[in-house]
Amino acid sequence: MKTQNIDSELPSYAIGVAEKAGAEYAEARIQSDEHIVCMLKNGQQQPIAIGESLGLGIRVILNGGLAFSATNILDRIQIRELVENTVKKAKATSELLKNKIKFSREKKVKKKWQAEEKEKLEDRNFEDMIKTLKDLDGIIIERKEYIPMRFIEMEISFDSKIFENSQGAHVEGYVPRLYVSGFLTGMKGDKMAQKSIEYGGSGGWELLEKLKIRNGLEHQTKVIKDIIDEGRKMVPGSYDIITGSEVTGIMAHESIGHPFEADRILGREAAQAGESYLQPSDVGRKIGSEQANISDDPSIPNSYGFYLYDDEGIASRKRKLVVNGVVNELLHNRTTARTFKTKSNGAARSVGFDREPIIRMANTFVEAGDYTFDELIKEVKHGIFINSFMEWNIDDIRQNQRYVGHEAYAIEKGEIVNPLVNPIIEVATERLWSSLDARGNNLDFWAATCGKGDPSQGAPVWAGGPSLRFRNMMVKTR
Amino acid sequence: MSVEILDRITEATYSKALALKPDDISIISAYSEESMLRFSNNSVTVIDTLKEVVVFLYMAKEEKKVVGATSTVNESNLDSFVERLFSSIKFTEKSVDYVPLPKIKSISTSRNYDSRIEKLGEKIVDLGGEAINAALREGAERVSGVLTANTESYKIKTSGGAENSDKVTSISINVRAFSGTNSSGHGLSCAASLPNFNGVEAGSTAGRFAKESQKTGHWEEGEYTLIMGPTVTADFLEIVGYSSSAFRVDAGTSFLKDSLGKKIATEDLTLEDYGAIEGGLAGRSFDDEGVPTQRTGIIDKGTLQTYLHNSSTAKKYGTKTTGNAGIIAPHPWNLVVKSGKSDLDEMIRETKKGVYVTNNWYTRYQNYVAGEYSTLPRDATFLIENGSIKYAINGIRISDNVPRQLLNIKGIGKERKWIEWWEVETPILTPALVIDNVAITKAQL
Repeated sequence: MKTQNIDSELPSYAIGVAEKAGAEYAEARIQSDEHIVCMLKNGQQQPIAIGESLGLGIRVILNGGLAFSATNILDRIQIRELVENTVKKAKATSELLKNKIKFSREKKVKKKWQAEEKEKLEDRNFEDMIKTLKDLDGIIIERKEYIPMRFIEMEISFDSKIFENSQGAHVEGYVPRLYVSGFLTGMKGDKMAQKSIEYGGSGGWELLEKLKIRNGLEHQTKVIKDIIDEGRKMVPGSYDIITGSEVTGIMAHESIGHPFEADRILGREAAQAGESYLQPSDVGRKIGSEQANISDDPSIPNSYGFYLYDDEGIASRKRKLVVNGVVNELLHNRTTARTFKTKSNGAARSVGFDREPIIRMANTFVEAGDYTFDELIKEVKHGIFINSFMEWNIDDIRQNQRYVGHEAYAIEKGEIVNPLVNPIIEVATERLWSSLDARGNNLDFWAATCGKGDPSQGAPVWAGGPSLRFRNMMVKTR
Repeated sequence: MSVEILDRITEATYSKALALKPDDISIISAYSEESMLRFSNNSVTVIDTLKEVVVFLYMAKEEKKVVGATSTVNESNLDSFVERLFSSIKFTEKSVDYVPLPKIKSISTSRNYDSRIEKLGEKIVDLGGEAINAALREGAERVSGVLTANTESYKIKTSGGAENSDKVTSISINVRAFSGTNSSGHGLSCAASLPNFNGVEAGSTAGRFAKESQKTGHWEEGEYTLIMGPTVTADFLEIVGYSSSAFRVDAGTSFLKDSLGKKIATEDLTLEDYGAIEGGLAGRSFDDEGVPTQRTGIIDKGTLQTYLHNSSTAKKYGTKTTGNAGIIAPHPWNLVVKSGKSDLDEMIRETKKGVYVTNNWYTRYQNYVAGEYSTLPRDATFLIENGSIKYAINGIRISDNVPRQLLNIKGIGKERKWIEWWEVETPILTPALVIDNVAITKAQL
C-alpha cells in the first residue's frame, strides 16, 4: 500500500479532535494516488508524466450541518486547526439549513481489501509502457494513409485509502489500475471519421491481454478505413436498431445509472449535473419493456469501477436498478438511504483525498439475454447495427438523449450490408427502453471516466451489456 | 501557508534538481485555499474547505523531457520524487521539438488579489443566503447552487532565469432556480475582487428566468436564428480557445488545422487570450516555462491570427511562444471577446424566427476536425417570432457545426460578463452572440 509510510494514526487523531469540538459524527480518510503516464502523439513520444497526491479528507456533522475539509499538509497542528474550523463551519450553516443531514444506521466494519493483481504494476517500468504503446502505435501506422493523426497514452495508477469514522469503522483499500486511451483521426480526400478509444481495468499488467487492446485497436483502424472507403449516407426514417455493447453501455450509464443516483432525485446536484426524471416515490414505476434489466455492480473482478467497500465504509454489492422494465433499486449513500428509509448500498465514492464522497456508479450494464448476435439480426428486415459511437449527450434530468453512431451498418432482410455514416438516435428514455425487445448473450464492458460533482470528480467506471434490439426507432442524419 | 514556505519548497526542489545536472528545470509551487458552499432546495448541503500545496516540475536532459507533480512536500519525499522523475528521463526519446527554456529577464506580478476574498471565512454562508433569498423573491420555489471563494499562491523558478510569485483570488456563484414542474433559470456572478461580485443579481436572474419560462409551447425541428446569452457564448467560444492550442491542432482535436491567416468567422468576432488581465479569474503572470503571459490576438475581425504556443510547439511552427505553456500542451488562460453593438432587446427585435438560449451543457463532438457537435440548452429557453418572445420551449438540442456557426455570426452584444462555471472551465469575458441558420433538433418521444 502506498499509504504505508504515513502516520496511520492521523484519521483517528482527526476524528478525536472533531468529537472534542462538538461534532456528532466524524470521518477521516487518508488517500494516496499515484499516476504514471506515457503518451505518443503522431508516433512521437511526449514527456513522461508522474503525478502523486497524498492527503486527508474529513467530514463532520453538527446539528444536521455537513462540512468537508481536506489538506495535504499532514502535521498535527495544521490538522487540528483545520478540523476545529470544519466543525465551526458545520455549525455556521445552521441559519441556512432547512433539511438536516442524517446518516442511515449501518454495520460497523473493520476490513482490508484490494483488487486482484496478478502481474504487479509496480514491477513494470517506463520501458514496458513505452514498448507497449509503440506496439499499439504500429497497429495504427499500418493504416496511416487513412489515419494521418493519432494520439495514444497509457496510464498506470495506484489508489490507496484508509477510512475511519467515529462509529468505529476502519477500512483499508487498494486498487491498481491500467488505462489505455487514444484518439484516431481518419481522413482521406474529403472523407473523415474520428474515434476516441478507451480500455481500462483494475488489476495488474495482465489487463493488457484481458482487455483485448491489440484486437480492439486493429478493429478500430479497419472500421475507419471501411467508413472512409464504403460508408454511405443513410436515409432518415424508422428502423429497427441493433446496438453493440459500447452503445448499450452508454445508454445504460446515461439514461438509467445517472437518474438512479438518489442524490440527484433529491435535488442535491441540481445546479451542476442536474436532477432526474424519477421522483422519490418512483420505485416500482415501469419505465421499459420486460427486456429492460439493468444493474450496477462494483464487485466485478478486474472492472475499472471496482471496489469492495465504499468511501463511507459500506460493503459494496450488486444493485439491480431495473428488473423487467420496473424501477427496482436506486443508488444510495448513507444520507439518501436515511431519507428513503432504507440501507446504503455502498455507492459513495471519492476520487481523491480532496473530494467529498458522493453517489456514483461503478460498472453499469444491461444484463445478458439469450439471443445470439445472428439471431438478433435475422429477425430485422430494415434496420441499422450501431456498434460504437462518438458524439452523445443527454439533458439534465436524463430524459432527452442522443447517440451518434461511428461504426454502423445497414441491415436488410436479416443481413448486415454496407457501412453507414453517422446515424443519429435522438430519443426519450422511456421510449428507448420500451422499444427494447431482445437481448444478446454477448456481455461485454467498456471503460469510461464518469463526471459528476463540484469540485468535479472523474470516476473510473465500466459501462456495458450485450447487443440489444430496439424496434421502430426514428433515425436521423446530419 | 506563507509565501516563505512556498519559497522554501521551491528552492529545496530546485536545488535538488540542479544537483542532478539536467539541462532545463522549471519548478512551480502552488498553494490553494478553496471555500465552497453548496446548497439545494433552499438549504445548505455541504460546506467545503480545501487546502492544498502542489509542486510541479519539468526537467530536460539531452533534449529528453519529463514532467511531474507531487503534493507530498516534505523534504525527504521531494528529494526522492525529483530523483525518481529524473531517472525516468533515460526511458524517453529526444523530443524533435526540444528547445531550451526561454531566458527571462523579468515578470510583472498579477494584480488580481483581494484580501477580502481570502478572509471570507464563514461569511460565505451569508452570501449564499442572500442569493437564495433573491431568487425566492423573484418567484422561484426551489433554489440550488454553489458559491466558491479561491485564493491561489504561486512561486516559479526556472533555469531560464524566471523567478516570480503570484497571488490571485476569485469568487463565483452559480445559482439555479426552479419554479413549477418544468421551469428553471440560471444566474452567475464571477469576479476577482469582492466589490465586483454580485450574488444577489445571480440569484435574481435565476429566479426571474425560472418564473418567465413557466409558459411553454410547441416548436418544430429546423433552422433558427440563435441568440446565445453570455453563458452559452462562453461555452461555444471556449471550444475556439481550446482549438487554438497548437497541441490540439496536431493531435486532431481542433477544427483550426491549416486555418492560420484565414477567415474563420465573420468580421464581428475578435477573440484574444489575456493571461494577466485585470479582473481575470484564472490568469497568472507567467506560464509553465516561466514566460510572461501576454495579450494574444487569436481571432482578429474574423481572421485566425495564431495558435497558442509553448516553446516547443512554437519551434515546430517557426514562431515565438505566446506564453501559454503547458509543458506538453499550450492552453488559454482568460479568453476575452471584443464587445459588439447590440443589446439583447435589439437582438430579439431583429429576429424573425429564433431561439434565445440562456444556459447549456453537455457539448460533445462527432468530429473535432470538422467541428460537428451538439449541445443541450437547459434552463430558460425562449421561442422568438417576428421580433418578440412567444413563450418558453423545452427539449431542444443545438446540433450544428462550429466553423459553419462562426461564419454565420450576425451580431455581438455590447455588454460583457465574466463566465466560469461547471460547464465552462476557461474564464471568458464575453457578451451575447447572434448566429443565423443554426440547426435545432428534438428527441423522439
